[in-house]
Amino acid sequence: MTQVKAKAPKQGLLNIHLTSTISMSLVLFLIGMVFLLLLVAHDTSTYVKENINLSVILEDGVGKQDVKRIENFLTESSFAKSVDYISKADALKDHIANLGENPQDFLGYNPLKASIEVKLHAAYANNDSVTEIEAKLKPFPHINRIIYQKDMVSLVNDNVKKISFILLGLAVVLLFVSIALINNTIRLSLYSNRFLINTMKLVGATPWFIRKPYLMRSMLNGLIAALISILLLGGVVYFVQYEFGISGMMFYSLNFLFVAFIVILSGVFLSAVSSYFAVGKYLRMHSNEMFSM
Amino acid sequence: MEKKLLIKYVDVDIYQQELLVLKNVQLEVHSGEFVYLVGKVGSGKTTLLKSIYHEIPILSGVAGVLGYDLRDLKLNDSPFLRRKIGIVFQDFQLLTDRTVYQNLNFVLKATGWKDQIAIDEQINSVLIQVGMKEKGYKMPHQLSGGEQQRIVIARALLNSPEMILADEPTGNLDPETGNELVELLYKIRLSGTTVIMATHNLNLLDKFQGRVFRCENENLAEISDESYI
Repeated sequence: MTQVKAKAPKQGLLNIHLTSTISMSLVLFLIGMVFLLLLVAHDTSTYVKENINLSVILEDGVGKQDVKRIENFLTESSFAKSVDYISKADALKDHIANLGENPQDFLGYNPLKASIEVKLHAAYANNDSVTEIEAKLKPFPHINRIIYQKDMVSLVNDNVKKISFILLGLAVVLLFVSIALINNTIRLSLYSNRFLINTMKLVGATPWFIRKPYLMRSMLNGLIAALISILLLGGVVYFVQYEFGISGMMFYSLNFLFVAFIVILSGVFLSAVSSYFAVGKYLRMHSNEMFSM
Repeated sequence: MEKKLLIKYVDVDIYQQELLVLKNVQLEVHSGEFVYLVGKVGSGKTTLLKSIYHEIPILSGVAGVLGYDLRDLKLNDSPFLRRKIGIVFQDFQLLTDRTVYQNLNFVLKATGWKDQIAIDEQINSVLIQVGMKEKGYKMPHQLSGGEQQRIVIARALLNSPEMILADEPTGNLDPETGNELVELLYKIRLSGTTVIMATHNLNLLDKFQGRVFRCENENLAEISDESYI
């Protein structure tokens, strides 16, 4: 008797619905994109805030020890990120470098004052904190005045707050959209399995035994979708860096790891939860109901 | 050998959804018995069998199967009842997405078998019993109706159940193969397994002696040997 070998059935790794994987990876891509934007916005605002100087202008003829005392106070404080003393001579050099003329030539003396340039930590770069810092510096003698661009700071803060708020709202909406989409995709692919699930029930398999392979498969599916979307995200990040040459400025790699983690987590977790409930629905259903849905 | 009471139904009404199918069912089946269920199409044979393996809930009377109280059985416990029963479904209920071998493998794995060598041996032995040894690699849709039927019987035999429920097991078979299979079930009975078989094939009743129940007009009644024709 000749036997015709039957085609081997699809199984395991290959038994993944390609279309549902791709649609899931697109949704995860959007989630990752929003999170990435959120982080970039945060980093950018930190970068801007920490580059606004608080200048402590010193009176002429201030003693070295007084300068040292103020400098020490600032270095030891929690709010200063960096403290730089700029002497009268240094200030003059800067001035010449910037404007190309030496005021000493026509004034006969150096009109510029020595100063201590402080860069604040982002958390302190707001008007309230700066007012407090001013109050703390007041007791020190020989401080002429303190300059800080309060307008600019509040402008930056306001804008960052607005943008973050919008992005966060967008992230929440997208999260809902993706939950609905992923849930739908998984329920659709499980719908075709409802009679199989019923059969498994009839031959004495426990609910957990039936659920397990479906859960594993859709979690794997979610993982693959997450990896695809991470590839896409990586491509976008690479393109942006390459095209606009801003690679050094943002702390991309750490952010990207964080976003990748979120994308994988939400991909796997959402698939697991959706398929858990979708299988559960058919596990509870009597075979009669399966025909009338 | 003392006969164990496997099924005890007292004053049971069986509903298919809202429709009353059988009322006041009194049924006692002991181990080692061979029981026929006869009756017209739609008279409730399948529904009665479904109630035994807890696919249809029983809401009145006393109903006990293999030590389980059907009226009190939780959904999570019904797998354990079903493991003790081998069921030959009228509509086969094979897992259409995998081969015959994988179908049988699934059932053994689901019922707690771990040793793959023992699993393979058991699968081979039941496939030989139904004469399908060579067809293990096939998908269900590649088999004829009769072949699928035999696989379903093989599956019912897998866990050496205390009771086999067979819903029209000869329905798709030629008379010869049908006889062979019923003979197989009849032999299994000798090892103490109860067989309950719904059938339209009244010729079988002559060849293989057993108790006969008839479903008629919402009633289930045992009939004496001579009066079934």
